[in-house]
Amino acid sequence: MIKLVNVSKSFSQFKVIKSVSLTIDKGEVHGIIGASGAGKSTLLRLVNLLELPDQGEVEVNGQKLTNLSSKELRRARKSIGMIFQHFNLLANKTVYENVAVSLELANYPKKERRDRIIECLQFVGLKDLIKQYPAQLSGGQKQRVAIARALANNPQVLLCDEPTSSLDPNISAEILGVLENINKVLGVTIVIVSHEMEVIKSICNRVTVMANGEIYDTVSTEPIGIHHIDKSPSYFVEQLAKAGEMDDA
Amino acid sequence: MPDILVQYEAEIWLSIGETFIMVGASIGAAILLGLPVGTLLFLCRKGEVIENRLVFTVLNLLVNIIRSFPFLLLVVFLIPFTRLIIGTAIGTTAAIVPLSIIAIAHYSRLVEQSLLDVPKGVMEAAISMGASVKEIVFKFLYVETRSGLVLGLTTSIISFISYSTIMGVVGGGGIGDFAIRYGYQQFKTDLMIYMIIIMIILVQLIQFTGTTIARIIDKR
Ligand SMILES: Nc1ncnc2c1ncn2[C@@H]1O[C@H](COP(=O)(O)OP(=O)(O)O)[C@@H](O)[C@H]1O
Ligand SMILES: [Mg+2]
Repeated sequence: MIKLVNVSKSFSQFKVIKSVSLTIDKGEVHGIIGASGAGKSTLLRLVNLLELPDQGEVEVNGQKLTNLSSKELRRARKSIGMIFQHFNLLANKTVYENVAVSLELANYPKKERRDRIIECLQFVGLKDLIKQYPAQLSGGQKQRVAIARALANNPQVLLCDEPTSSLDPNISAEILGVLENINKVLGVTIVIVSHEMEVIKSICNRVTVMANGEIYDTVSTEPIGIHHIDKSPSYFVEQLAKAGEMDDA
Repeated sequence: MPDILVQYEAEIWLSIGETFIMVGASIGAAILLGLPVGTLLFLCRKGEVIENRLVFTVLNLLVNIIRSFPFLLLVVFLIPFTRLIIGTAIGTTAAIVPLSIIAIAHYSRLVEQSLLDVPKGVMEAAISMGASVKEIVFKFLYVETRSGLVLGLTTSIISFISYSTIMGVVGGGGIGDFAIRYGYQQFKTDLMIYMIIIMIILVQLIQFTGTTIARIIDKR
């Protein structure tokens, strides 16, 4: 589904991605984990050519993106959804309109747009908020809108760059639950970049560990399920108690 | 109404009309050409979607040069050019040429600055969704900056009014010219003060309207 072959990327002499190869199969939930600055985001952004590689090939869905004209690339991007840590919604558009933009860009049949938008918002659990503006939403709700927007045009792949890193743990778990559904119900291949092990452990089937612009290892894992990171208040109480013990010691 | 205003009523209305023509034309130029030039300035910047050093440098330099002229000198400097386009360099119609040129330079800079405020992430979302340059501009940039664009235009319009007062030197007329010719040169101080009051009211109205519209369309 996604194939990176000997991909390299530098930012002004500084090699951020060093000849990386990675294959992600259809239907996978693939995690990319590593310390901050390891090059995770850059690697993810190479998948839809948000960053152009200096060398190497990028193939998604059987199409060599690195060989496409800019027009063909734009077309290909419409079946690669992407969500971000800071949501990147249009602040001056309502929830409904934010999702609509994606369909407008894709030239989705006009008559079917409304149904599709409602369907997507329902899927992420937001259909009562369609007239709200992003400023009126919580972080978790904003990420749901972003997911609905990414989903609207039936993408084959969903790229997620730290999708839960600016959310509270219990909200994170909810968002991961939505992503899990997208993978299981809709069969969308998902790539998640995160620096949090718990996020990765909860829903990924395979995990790539990155360090210094290189892949350290790729391992198969058994997703442990989102309930394990559903941090209820009692979890925090426990953590606080532990911290208290350490202080006493 | 004070006698002096009644006495000059016809001329006052005429000069208000001239001011409206000159400022109106400036607004037209700002929107039709200043907006695209400002957008191009933004889009051609390093790291932006149609990064183009040459276009950016040329436009940037032009805008800077025009804006660094004292406006009176720009008007004089442009006389041959105005004559070429309009056929004469004198009168209200001819005054539109230098006014439009400063209007384009003025507003394009404000447009560029507004666009620079759009979060990088919104641009990335647009690109990741496969938006073309035109779609990025109309469906993302202008949507996110619309209140800034309106506020910028408001600021510009108020400057245009100020610029228009200078156009008396080339027979452009207008309220400012009237205030100088009658009020100052003929020592009718009260008439001058009334003209200034008209200007103040005009500016207040424009600022109020601009601020109100900007607030209503801003959902951030
Ligand atoms: N557009 C850019 N220009 C310059 N340097 C960048 C750019 N994007 C990322 N980098 C650098 O590349 C390295 C890897 O960044 P990134 O891929 O964001 O890491 P991660 O997501 O793992 O934290 C960092 O050192 C970062 O400073
Ligand atoms: Mg990152």
